Amino acid sequence: MSSANETPRETEITVGYRALSPAQKDRLRKITVNPQDGDAPPWDANTDYQTVGTDVDRIDGLAKATGRAKYAYDINFPDLQQAMILRAPIAKGKLKSLDLDAARAMPGISAVVPLKKEGNKIRFVGDAIAAVSGTTLDVVRDAIEKIRAEYDAEQHNVDYLMDEDAPLLDGKGEVDDEWPESSKIDTALGEAAHTHSATYRTEVQTHSSLETHGNVCKWDGNHLDVWASTQATFGVRGELARALGNRDIKVESVDVHSEFVGGGFGSKFSAGIEGFACALLAREANKPVKLMLDRFEEHTTAGNRPSSLMQVRGGLDKDGNLTAWDWRSFGGCGYNGRGGSVRYPNYYMKNAATRRKHKDIACDTDPARSMRAPGYPQGWFGAEMFLDELAAKAGIDPLQFRLQNDVEDMRQDQWQFAAEKFGWQKARAQKAASDDKKERYVTGVGCASARWGQLGRHGGRRQRYGITCRIHPNGMVEARSGAQDIGTGLKTVLSMLTAEELGVPAARVKGMTGHTADPIGPGSGGSTTTPSIAPAVRHAAFLAKNELIALVAKHLGVPEADVTCAGDKVGTKTAKLDWLDACKLIGPNPLEVRGERYPNYRDKPFHPGVCGAQFAEVRVDTWTGEVQVTRMFGIQDCGLVIAKKLAESQVLGAMIQGVSYAVHEQRIMDQRSGRMLNGDFLRYKIAGTKDLPELECHMHSVANGHNNVGAAGLGEPPSTATAAAIGNAVFHAIGAPVRHLPITPEKVLEALASR
Amino acid sequence: MSHPPDHGVSRRSFLKGSAVAGIATTGITAATQAAAGPPVPESFAPGEHEITLSVNGQPKKVKVETRTTLLDALRDRMDLTGAKKICDRGACGGCTVLVDGAPANSCLMLAMDAVGSELRTVEGLADGDKVHPLVENIVKCDGLQCGFCTPGMVMSSIACLEKRGKPTPAEMRQDLSGNLCRCGTYGRVMEAIDQTAQQMGGNK
Repeated sequence: MSSANETPRETEITVGYRALSPAQKDRLRKITVNPQDGDAPPWDANTDYQTVGTDVDRIDGLAKATGRAKYAYDINFPDLQQAMILRAPIAKGKLKSLDLDAARAMPGISAVVPLKKEGNKIRFVGDAIAAVSGTTLDVVRDAIEKIRAEYDAEQHNVDYLMDEDAPLLDGKGEVDDEWPESSKIDTALGEAAHTHSATYRTEVQTHSSLETHGNVCKWDGNHLDVWASTQATFGVRGELARALGNRDIKVESVDVHSEFVGGGFGSKFSAGIEGFACALLAREANKPVKLMLDRFEEHTTAGNRPSSLMQVRGGLDKDGNLTAWDWRSFGGCGYNGRGGSVRYPNYYMKNAATRRKHKDIACDTDPARSMRAPGYPQGWFGAEMFLDELAAKAGIDPLQFRLQNDVEDMRQDQWQFAAEKFGWQKARAQKAASDDKKERYVTGVGCASARWGQLGRHGGRRQRYGITCRIHPNGMVEARSGAQDIGTGLKTVLSMLTAEELGVPAARVKGMTGHTADPIGPGSGGSTTTPSIAPAVRHAAFLAKNELIALVAKHLGVPEADVTCAGDKVGTKTAKLDWLDACKLIGPNPLEVRGERYPNYRDKPFHPGVCGAQFAEVRVDTWTGEVQVTRMFGIQDCGLVIAKKLAESQVLGAMIQGVSYAVHEQRIMDQRSGRMLNGDFLRYKIAGTKDLPELECHMHSVANGHNNVGAAGLGEPPSTATAAAIGNAVFHAIGAPVRHLPITPEKVLEALASR
Repeated sequence: MSHPPDHGVSRRSFLKGSAVAGIATTGITAATQAAAGPPVPESFAPGEHEITLSVNGQPKKVKVETRTTLLDALRDRMDLTGAKKICDRGACGGCTVLVDGAPANSCLMLAMDAVGSELRTVEGLADGDKVHPLVENIVKCDGLQCGFCTPGMVMSSIACLEKRGKPTPAEMRQDLSGNLCRCGTYGRVMEAIDQTAQQMGGNK
């Protein structure tokens, strides 16, 4: 047995999880892993955590709740200039002429930059034409009105279903085209005891981050400081350096600061035209410039989750096993025709003959950007709802169907645990026994699975991710990453992991994120941040701990191998120093180390991704068609649960966002003008307090054994299931499916009429 | 959400009116000190005018245009950036401040209309390390994620507590219905309100 302060060469660890309820069994097993030289030894299912998994308060919570936190939008300088972008009013065509002189001559204007040249293509309403900065937004708006831009408009299309590549729909919204032949699928369907075929649709959802995209840029010679609302500090730095690049401006010439970010949800990876414009304006004005998008620009130029159309057919054998699965989907994309891909839960189809086809269709709108589990909530809605309809045809309970067909062991436990907690059997039995066809209000319950697979990466092409850990002589500890905390709680995760390794309370450790002067980290997308960074945080703390141990061992005259850090003390069983006294041995400068992210172990982990399940109850008003989601229960694994309270917040939040997607959200485009009709928060509705169901979630902590921490990503997985579970609950409530998100009153009434 | 006292001009009607006034009068910007009450500009000509706003119990002088919203005055002129600009149309509650005790969307109010009113912003809830118990409970309940809606959410919650003492869940939903949160923190914000009400014994 090696000391806890050394890297073991080859070590056996216990992975898995303990029983979720007394009715279930532990799922633990031993695996052998091979950590690399210098790495911290792995934590596993038998680790006795002091801080990890507990309810520590979000460490930047007070700064945010008192208004002290400075987001990019809040950065002020005495001579700060405000800026805006002139946007194209047409959806397709060319810029014919652009005259900026009158705008330049307006009072209070400090810079005007063109963003398109005459003859450049216009690709959607909102394409950037020119940018203006001045003393206040009001004078900038006055100047923008003086810009003379003329356009050559061409015929546009903002509805992907009008494109010639789109399938034809019949009056009921079902695809009218024949399926292409396939002997495999045709045979499987021919042999099935029960078959079903249906078409599902989802609409464009905008990210609707509350802090819009934007930046404050400030030049000092050839050095540029950027306060950015971004989920990729290093991405923005590289992009701006390249875009502005000349021999005097290199990546090192740009510093990005994003200590607080008002949401991103996948839309904020790029500096964007607004970042580039801000940097150009600041250089021309020779003053700091703030350029933040307004809400209409945010809805119409900063990305979205594309719409989708999914046609499915499938079959069950007489025992209820899924034997045939045929899927073709279409993504309703922006002008670049990308990003509309749709995924479905393939763990139900392992024993079925399957076929999957997808086509992205371009139209003249703002392009898609990744949004919280790109392609999943759409596909899960289509697939999980199809499965409920098919199971209903065969007279099988939806949960029973899933227990029978879901091949993932971990979710088998989750289905049973969550169904029990939610009261599934009782709710289904009550509904079956009631004759509520004549009632105004009817209820129903539904369920759906959650899945994602992100165990973290070790770095970019050139460099491994890193963390700086500093122990100060006064006992204060810092853990710093240049990556950003977009509200997920990364600062708190840095603090808790460091505290765990050093054996001190989390309050001693300040986690800091968002400054590119600190070690490189990933963009916050695809649930990568915590699983990518956590092992580096631990490694940094491990190195710092060993340096402190060396000082203490020397001071106490004991072997280093006997010294541990635990319970806010450093020393051996018999001779110990309090943490604060131990830190006095450091100095006068702080002890500083840089930890790095080693690649994940090559050995097979407990599970290659994460699993979850959600249950929803709805109440439908059959007079008005209104759907109220009344209750939800979710269980979600994310590998090791580090900051429990924050992890729960993320799952609960994903469920609320899912409610919003299920019943409210829809970008409405005007085909005639090519313009979004509801580009604000009055008519683009997102869920508020009155939409809030009674919500509960259970964090399922799993020792996954893929690196020294074993954390997996959490942002995306819980957002895959919610709309699907709600769709199924509505189907159960009214006995007819609403196959088109959002489930608006109008569609519910149509479905009721079709019964 | 209730509204601040109507001073006779809305932002929209005022914007229309100011264009006309701009033609009729030019160059008069002198402000005189009224005998009692806050200083009032003598005219509303184009350009900036100095006004005095009472913010968190302190009189603050600030130069604004007639068309400057209270939100822009607070954020851009006084560096009180707790109130956020999110929708700029009164649809999200991110800019909520208390005007004479009632929650108001500061993006829908002109700075000049706030002259003579007592304004309370989120910054007024903290005095060094001492913060209002609601703020403490928001953190304890983790009623925030990205935090961008949080100051507005906090101000609406304070108004709810001050108005109702011990609000019921339905009353909380009603009083916070104008505040949007994209991360989905509503449930835990309401937990924080409930805990604060319990601690304060329902005292308004």
